[in-house]
Amino acid sequence: MRALSLNTRRKLAAHLFVIALLAVWTVAALRLPGYVLPAPLTVLERVGDFFISVKLASHAAASIFHVAAALVLAFAIGTALALAGRYLPITRVLIGRLSAFLNSFSSVGWALLAILWFGLNDIAVIFVIGIILLPIYMINMQAALDQLDSELLEMTASFTRSWPRAFTLVVLPALYPFMLATTRIAFGIAWKVALTAELFGGNSGFGFLVNLARQDIDTSRIFAVIALMIVISFLADHLLFAPLERHLTRHYADA
Amino acid sequence: MRSAVTRSGLQARLLADAAVIAAIAAWWLASRNLPAFVLPSPWATAQALLRFFTEPKLMIDVAATGLRVVLSVVAATALGIALAMLAYFLPVTRDIVRKRVLPFLNAMPSLGWAILAVIWFGVSDAAVVFAQTAILVPFCFINVSQGIDEIDTELVEMARSFTRQRWLAFRTVLIPAVAPYVVAAARLAYGVSWKIALIAELFGSERGLGYAMYQAQTVADPATVIAICLIIVLVFVLGDLLVLRPLYHWASPQDRDKPFPGI
Repeated sequence: MRALSLNTRRKLAAHLFVIALLAVWTVAALRLPGYVLPAPLTVLERVGDFFISVKLASHAAASIFHVAAALVLAFAIGTALALAGRYLPITRVLIGRLSAFLNSFSSVGWALLAILWFGLNDIAVIFVIGIILLPIYMINMQAALDQLDSELLEMTASFTRSWPRAFTLVVLPALYPFMLATTRIAFGIAWKVALTAELFGGNSGFGFLVNLARQDIDTSRIFAVIALMIVISFLADHLLFAPLERHLTRHYADA
Repeated sequence: MRSAVTRSGLQARLLADAAVIAAIAAWWLASRNLPAFVLPSPWATAQALLRFFTEPKLMIDVAATGLRVVLSVVAATALGIALAMLAYFLPVTRDIVRKRVLPFLNAMPSLGWAILAVIWFGVSDAAVVFAQTAILVPFCFINVSQGIDEIDTELVEMARSFTRQRWLAFRTVLIPAVAPYVVAAARLAYGVSWKIALIAELFGSERGLGYAMYQAQTVADPATVIAICLIIVLVFVLGDLLVLRPLYHWASPQDRDKPFPGI
């Protein structure tokens, strides 16, 4: 028998680990009451509900809508503020302070304030997710602008006097990879924050479902929602963000 | 040239200060036209803030939350180090740690942990510390394993050629190389921990700032909600300045002149 390479053994170990975990879970679920630990098959069944019931599917769609809307808003405002900090140097200190303040503010605090300000609706949820993402975009886009190649900018300045031309042809393309990398991080955070925001301030979405399930002590529904969220975030990362990032890196970064 | 730079710097600082004053003034004006349960005045918020320095019950809340934060940061840092070391010293487990455990912990919503902790541990300190630790472990692991990845392999080889005592090499080469990353991991975890402390406490506690905040929200008292957010920022900055920053400089004397890595 040939010895397996380290790489193969690593992969094998990882698969065995998952199988062992599922086995332990199944055995533990047999001994514990269902509201403490539902069995893997029960959870799978409850995940299946989301593909049958239109009502459940619409809650999933609501969560995706909340996250997407918040991402777009935080991206637009955060990038605009970071650009203002660079091109209007006088605002730099102010914008640094704003991002530090937003970054240290508690997310639950925003959620509870949003309920008081907007009531229980989509706007409250999008506000909470958006304002938590805003400092992430501000800080990352500021870092990206600071890392721009100064020689490239000098060369651009010697080729053209037109500011919009230099901006759209040189600065913006140089920022694309950073925008995508930040959006990838922000998506991961948004997806997790959405649950909190919807639980406290929403009338739709995964968080709302979890809150109902929590009140009914329907643990298998909670497990199903979490499993579904993990799968969606995994799929988005592997099928959307990773290929886009590879594509952009090939085109715009020559590292 | 130099004076021009300092002058524009001064102008930027002035604008920032003016904007803070303008924001407080705008807040005050807006609060006069809005009901107090929507937007409390800056004055009412300051009064709510002051109560945290006078009322023992609220001080206990701050201490309870602070203690849980410290406990979960210590536990998460230890677990992060253990996972990173496991992947380093037992190469076969690398995929288990990096491609199974870590992505799972990363994708798990914090609220999910909080709710599961209450189901499993009931309303207790253990539930809060468990939920927070579970949320923080991936942050710590990523930082520590980054430190381990950046260990100079030639340095390790040199250490091996100087001594056969593995413990000596571990103590004099590996630990100093990884220590800055461990402190950075603890600092990151500390920052995240203060932000998520409340999530875990909303469901699984009868004490603490999260509980106090939820009580304030149910009686429509936004002044206290905002005051608690400000207290959190205050305690966070104090802990960062007094404990973690000196610790970082102690752990990485060679980087003394470098700016502290941000969150």
